[in-house]
Amino acid sequence: MSSTVGTSSRKVIRLSLLFRMQHLALTLLLTVLAITGFALMYHENSLSQWIIRFEGGIVGRGIVHRIAAVLLMANVIYHAFYMLFSREGKPELRQFFIGRQDIDDFFQSLRYNLGTTKEYPRFGKYGYKEKFQYWGAAVGILLVSLTGIMLWGEEYSMIFFPKVVLDLAVIIHGYQGLLAFAILFLWHLYNVHLHPSVFPMDPSWITGKVSAEWMRAEHPLEYEKLKEEGLL
Amino acid sequence: MRKFTLAAVLVFLGGAFLPGFARDASASISLEKCTLCHGKPEFRKLLVDGQIRDLFVTGDSLAGSVHGKKVCTDCHFDVSEIPHRERPKRVACTHCHFKGNNEGAPQSDNVLAYFDSAHGTAIARGNTKAPLCQDCHGSHAILKVKDPGAKVARGNVAETCGKCHMEIYAQFKGSIHGAALAKGITEVPSCTGCHGEHRIYSRNDPKSTIYSTHVSEQCSKCHSSVKIMGKFGIETEQVATYKESFHGVANQFGSRTVANCSSCHGVHDIRPPDDPLSMVNPKNVPKTCGKCHPGANPNFAVGKIHVDAKNKESGIIYWTATFFKWLTIGTMLALVAHIFLDMYGRTRRLRGEQ
Repeated sequence: MSSTVGTSSRKVIRLSLLFRMQHLALTLLLTVLAITGFALMYHENSLSQWIIRFEGGIVGRGIVHRIAAVLLMANVIYHAFYMLFSREGKPELRQFFIGRQDIDDFFQSLRYNLGTTKEYPRFGKYGYKEKFQYWGAAVGILLVSLTGIMLWGEEYSMIFFPKVVLDLAVIIHGYQGLLAFAILFLWHLYNVHLHPSVFPMDPSWITGKVSAEWMRAEHPLEYEKLKEEGLL
Repeated sequence: MRKFTLAAVLVFLGGAFLPGFARDASASISLEKCTLCHGKPEFRKLLVDGQIRDLFVTGDSLAGSVHGKKVCTDCHFDVSEIPHRERPKRVACTHCHFKGNNEGAPQSDNVLAYFDSAHGTAIARGNTKAPLCQDCHGSHAILKVKDPGAKVARGNVAETCGKCHMEIYAQFKGSIHGAALAKGITEVPSCTGCHGEHRIYSRNDPKSTIYSTHVSEQCSKCHSSVKIMGKFGIETEQVATYKESFHGVANQFGSRTVANCSSCHGVHDIRPPDDPLSMVNPKNVPKTCGKCHPGANPNFAVGKIHVDAKNKESGIIYWTATFFKWLTIGTMLALVAHIFLDMYGRTRRLRGEQ
């Protein structure tokens, strides 16, 4: 790996400053939400109890959780508007659309990994891995936010919903949070830390840049597009 | 010489025992003397507030009690002349019942526990209405706790407490616990079952068994026991589901404002849910929840309150939880499989390229 980086020191921008800030906010807030949330979900665990005491008891924990949740929702809403209406966001969003190609790519990569084909799929800026992560997080955050708001204003919610709906909201909030967290841990951390091409860490979340060589190996379509546009 | 020695020994022994004999003799005489007045059935006193204090005591008053062999002045030891001029002081049981006593009186720390309790500290503050030992255990007819006739026996203790706590006793009699007690069911708690015996504290005292953060623990002593609840067809999952709920978790972390068992089910007036007077009867649930959640409507009564997501009977909640459980497990397995495949394939690709 070091040899490939060494031969080409040219860098390509992959994440603009605004995206990096959104990502950093997301990282910090999700961490706070996970720590405060799972401490409550697994409150019988001694570590959880220590965490809850650290956060100022059961009331303090809730306040920390809600502050982080409000900031996260603000971050997500900002991101949604940015992706829908900004000059930089609109083409990015288009590249995140899931198409027939992604499904084909997925199966081709499976076949390749199993050794039944010699061709590895050629990805654009975002391959099926990135798309799965992105939309998975979007759906997860949406579900957790909606149920979380319901539970936050439980007296107001119960004007409209019977108790069983709120019980359901508790279940969805907790389990969806767990699922999102598990996917983040297994999938995202693998892709950006443990993956052989980036180990020990893909630096783009801090610097915003990746090496042109990495782009050529992992996202050849994007590499070629940049080359055609004369950006490389 | 020998006769002299014998006589000397007898005189010596007599000297040693004579005071004892003399005391016994004087005591028995005092019993007879006491009953000269107290043995008349009409011997009573009209108190200032119009109540009548019955002063009728006979030689049989102690018969059959744990103090059957005692005499009046063993306890009323401040009576030194008969007739006594002043009203004798209230009997202090600790005169004999202290640790290390020579009388052979049962000894325990209960006395010390009592002095620390709500009743004992009230006495110490000068509250003359607060109970002493004899107010609960009885004065002359004291029986052992296990004796069903004892004032502190399981079946009688509520009535004993009710002498002072009248309103609460009335509520308790109407409750499921009171009704079961009246039927002679032995598992059911009476006052002392929840409040403790000598260690009775104010509900605002953190030492109390019924302090707001201790209530669920106290109820769960019986209500989480399948052995006890099984007899009456009552579910035991309520305790566990409460502890898993937002109320229960906050309670375990020391919140005193959050609902505990008695906030919803009542305290002395606990009734089964199908009883229209029960606080947890579906008709009354909005009002009960409304104590803390202003504006609670009938929505609060729709669906089970004690929900266990692990129990199939919870319906959609169980199925949602199960769905998510398997979704998470399935996703994890798929991701792990994909990661290993990817690493394997990727390593091969990188090798091939170099």
